[in-house]
Amino acid sequence: MSLEVINTPILALVQDKGRFSYTSIGVTNSGVMDEYAYFIANNLLGNELNTNIIEIAFSNIIFKAHKNTTMVITGAKCEFFINNILLNTWQTHNIKAGDIIKIGKILSGSRVYLGVYRGFNIKKEFASNSTTLKENLGGLRGDKLQKGDVLDFNSFTNSSEVRLKEKYIPTYEDILDLRVVLSYQDEFFQQKQIDKFFSNTYTITNEFNRMGCKLDGEEIFCDIDGIISEGISFGAIQIPKDGKPIILLKDRQTIGGYPKIGSVLSIDCFKLSQCKPLQKVKFTPISLEEAHKKVKLFYSSFII
Amino acid sequence: MQFKIASVDSLIIYFGNEITQDISLKVRKAYKSISTLEDKGLIEIIPSYTSIFITYDIFIYDFNTLKEKLKSFINIDVFDEVAEKIVIIDVYYGSEVGFDLEDISKKTSLSISEIVSIHSNKLYDVYAIGFLPGFAYLGNVDKKIAMPRLSSPRKTIPKGSLALADTQTAIYPQNSPGGWNIIGKTAMELFDKKLDTLSPLSVGNKVKFNPITKDEFLKQGGIL
Repeated sequence: MSLEVINTPILALVQDKGRFSYTSIGVTNSGVMDEYAYFIANNLLGNELNTNIIEIAFSNIIFKAHKNTTMVITGAKCEFFINNILLNTWQTHNIKAGDIIKIGKILSGSRVYLGVYRGFNIKKEFASNSTTLKENLGGLRGDKLQKGDVLDFNSFTNSSEVRLKEKYIPTYEDILDLRVVLSYQDEFFQQKQIDKFFSNTYTITNEFNRMGCKLDGEEIFCDIDGIISEGISFGAIQIPKDGKPIILLKDRQTIGGYPKIGSVLSIDCFKLSQCKPLQKVKFTPISLEEAHKKVKLFYSSFII
Repeated sequence: MQFKIASVDSLIIYFGNEITQDISLKVRKAYKSISTLEDKGLIEIIPSYTSIFITYDIFIYDFNTLKEKLKSFINIDVFDEVAEKIVIIDVYYGSEVGFDLEDISKKTSLSISEIVSIHSNKLYDVYAIGFLPGFAYLGNVDKKIAMPRLSSPRKTIPKGSLALADTQTAIYPQNSPGGWNIIGKTAMELFDKKLDTLSPLSVGNKVKFNPITKDEFLKQGGIL
């Protein structure tokens, strides 16, 4: 017994960086939606970057600790309590056996990450703990966390606490700027359509989950209706017949037949995953060279 | 071979723009040669009908370096077909599991046994895997029994159902909604955590369907 779920959470999933090299047989990458919050959590805990974590959407989850550990909460701004005392997120806290840990309301952002020192002892499935509900893979039983579930970890007692400098704590912007590398079928979109795509703002709809994010706004038209199914990248922007873009995220299907105008930078998809329906986004073009620099800079900053 | 950017860390190679055996063969040969590289800089390799999608480590490659490397490495102009694994799948083609057999029989004026023999006599190629884990798109089905997708998809197609859409055929590896015509069922696991490879099929394999009786199907653990 280590960390016991004592209420019925809406959607809490064990995740890590993801499951790789099985897309050729249709198994998606899965993995944390917000890698920034995830890597910071593991950095603060002194964990290896790929250590597993709990991704909590829609808030309200209560745990009871049965061993000592160090814990950190990152991601969406939320009410975080240990034994009913409201505490800071983005910093480590020492947990004692018997403590009650509660994530209450989410105040801004939409996904909270809860990590512990050295992670949870869960057997990996195909090299990952990432839970993919539609594939029934990863996590505990391939399923979301339920009341009564117990996540084991190694007991750890520490006295110091580490916190992230204020300036590194993200504030989730009003209109999120998504940088796009034009790619895939971009030549089948006329200049007028591309200009429209980059000059309008779009609204996130309710069709927003771990698979993808459907937007509403000015329709974009492609000269072709469909394509022969092909591999889909993280962040790919599909333009279906209705002209409303869909950005594909961690649990995306591996192949698909809609035309794609380009792909959102991975590091911007992490910010998107903290957005909510009705929030606005806009697209800005970026060259592949510049995109490489930005993404490399992001990943380099987490290497301890 | 045409190389295109897919995203900040991925590219896609096109070998043509129509679904033909010739183009698929090029894809499979290239896929095989890229896979044998065992290059740590290549994270995902997804072959499909006419393309291969690759995600790469941007700390090892950039688009142009990888493109040049693959260009010089991939050889698709070999004429002899490489030996490919043949996977035999036992299927019970019965009306109680093949919901659309009678309908196809009416539409094609072929008897059910003729449909079964046309379908099971062919050796199929695995063109692509996707939609669901382990869902392999096999082709090409004889045009005599080619059937368009159902006008309204079924809410649940049982796991193991053998399906037909146009000139493609496939098995549903798990219960799923779907619009393909159902002509039979297998007791074989197409996606199973207990298998080392998760799925017995991969792009490049060939598939042969072996008709079995209801009794054999039940003995194999099949469910009607």
